[in-house]
Parts: sequence; structure tokens; C-alpha cells
Amino acid sequence: MADLDDIIHQPLRLRIMAALNALPQGTGLEFSRLKKLTGATDGNLGAHIETLAKAGYVDVEKAFVGKKPQTTVTATAAGRGAFARHVAMLQEIIAGGGGERA
Amino acid sequence: MIDSKQAAAALSDIDDIVRRVRQSQVYNLASLIMIWWGVLVFAGNIATWLWPWYAAYIWPAVNTGGVLGTVVISALLQIRARLRAVDGRVVAAYVLFYAFGYFCSDVLGDFGPRELGAFWPIYFMLFYVLAGLWFGQAFVALGLAITVLTLVGYFYVMGGTFLLWMAVVNGGGLVLGGLWMRWN
Repeated sequence: MADLDDIIHQPLRLRIMAALNALPQGTGLEFSRLKKLTGATDGNLGAHIETLAKAGYVDVEKAFVGKKPQTTVTATAAGRGAFARHVAMLQEIIAGGGGERA
Repeated sequence: MIDSKQAAAALSDIDDIVRRVRQSQVYNLASLIMIWWGVLVFAGNIATWLWPWYAAYIWPAVNTGGVLGTVVISALLQIRARLRAVDGRVVAAYVLFYAFGYFCSDVLGDFGPRELGAFWPIYFMLFYVLAGLWFGQAFVALGLAITVLTLVGYFYVMGGTFLLWMAVVNGGGLVLGGLWMRWN
């Protein structure tokens, strides 16, 4: 059995991935919307998105809408796969009934 | 290290976020439609107040514009966000909605302009409240608020001023409700 994905398992990153995974493939969320959904601060959210981007789990696209900068975050195929495996692992732990996993 | 309690908590967190994302998508679509209807209803009431003899033309135009706008906004969002927001059922729902409303107001009842001015917003808001039972409390709050204010106007705001009241309460209420949904 595989271990839990340490990158996704961190609570805020798990929330970010859950939010992005709930959208149709190829669709992203704006930074401000993601901030509201996850309840994170700007700095905290930015740092965790960077970690996910470095792992190849999300794509970050920066653009200007009018004069306003807009950052859109989208889950990659690798990120969706990792998230699905992580959720399966969590379900497996529950079904297994209490054993601890790294 | 993680045990089954922590795993259950993580899954519950995921469910909560997924629910909020879906609700935010519903609000995103509904808010644009509400603002569109709000502007039309505001204009319809003001136009009827200014030119009451044209009411028989103004309101079918408002309703047609509302339905067409709903379909266009839904289709645009469907393309942009890849949401499945509009299909034949939406159009069928509108047809049934108007058919039943017409049946009540013109066949079963013989409503005058004032009764019609109160009936359609209340009837419309009934569906907001019902939708809110599934899609979010904002719909319930908005539906109830507009219904109560419409009834206040119907019983206490006399003469042509009732149309101005309805422009603010119904049109303005929908616009403000839509903006509130977008901000939140």
C-alpha cells in the first residue's frame, strides 16, 4: 500500500486541491475566490500554492484583467491523480479501522 | 502519522470544500441572472408608472427579455466555466412557470393591475425560496424579504406609487441580492 501524499496532506493544501478538483478539468479558480473558499490569508495561500505548483499539482496563470492583476490556479492532471489517490488512501485508513499511517 | 479519526476529519473537510465550491458556482450563475432580471423589473415598473397604458406590451417584453437573458447568460457561463447550466429543462421550467402563473391570474382569477403587480413577484420568489432549500440560504433570505416587502407595498402603498415601490423592492432587491451573492 502507498503512503499518504505529504504534499497534499497538509490541511490548507488539501483544501486547495479539493476545491480545484471539484471543478471540471481545465477550469481554474481565481486567487481571491480560492482565498474565500479556503479561509486562508494571502501570504499563506500563496506559499502553499507555490508548493503545489513546484510538485506539478497545479498550474498558476497570471494575467491582467483591465488594470487588475488576476491569478488563476488550475489542478493539473498529475494533481488530480494525486488527489484521487490521497482520497482513496484516506478511505482505506477509515475502512481499516484506526491503524496509523505515515 | 494519521489514524482513522484524522482521516475521517480530512474527508469531511474535503466534502465541506466541495460543497462550498458547488454552491459558489450556483451563486455565480444565479447572481448574474438575478441582476439581469432586477434591471428589467426595475425598468418595467418605472415604464409602467410613466406609461401605464402600455403595460400590456411592457411586461411581455420584460419577461421575454428575462428568459432570453437567462438562457444567454447560462450558455456563456457554460462555455467559459464548462458548467452544465442550461438545457431543455430550464426552458420547460420557464414555460410551466408562466403557464401556471397565467392560469392563476387570468383564468382562475381576474387580477387587476395591482394584484398582478403583487402576484408575479411573490410567485417568482416562491421558487427562489424553494431553490434555496437545496442551493443555499441566500435564495431563501432574498425570496422571503422581497415577498414580505411586496405584501407591505400591496397593503400599504397606495395608487401609482406602488409601481415605484415595486421597482425598488423587486428590481432593486434582485440587483442587490445578486451583487451580495457575487461579493460573498
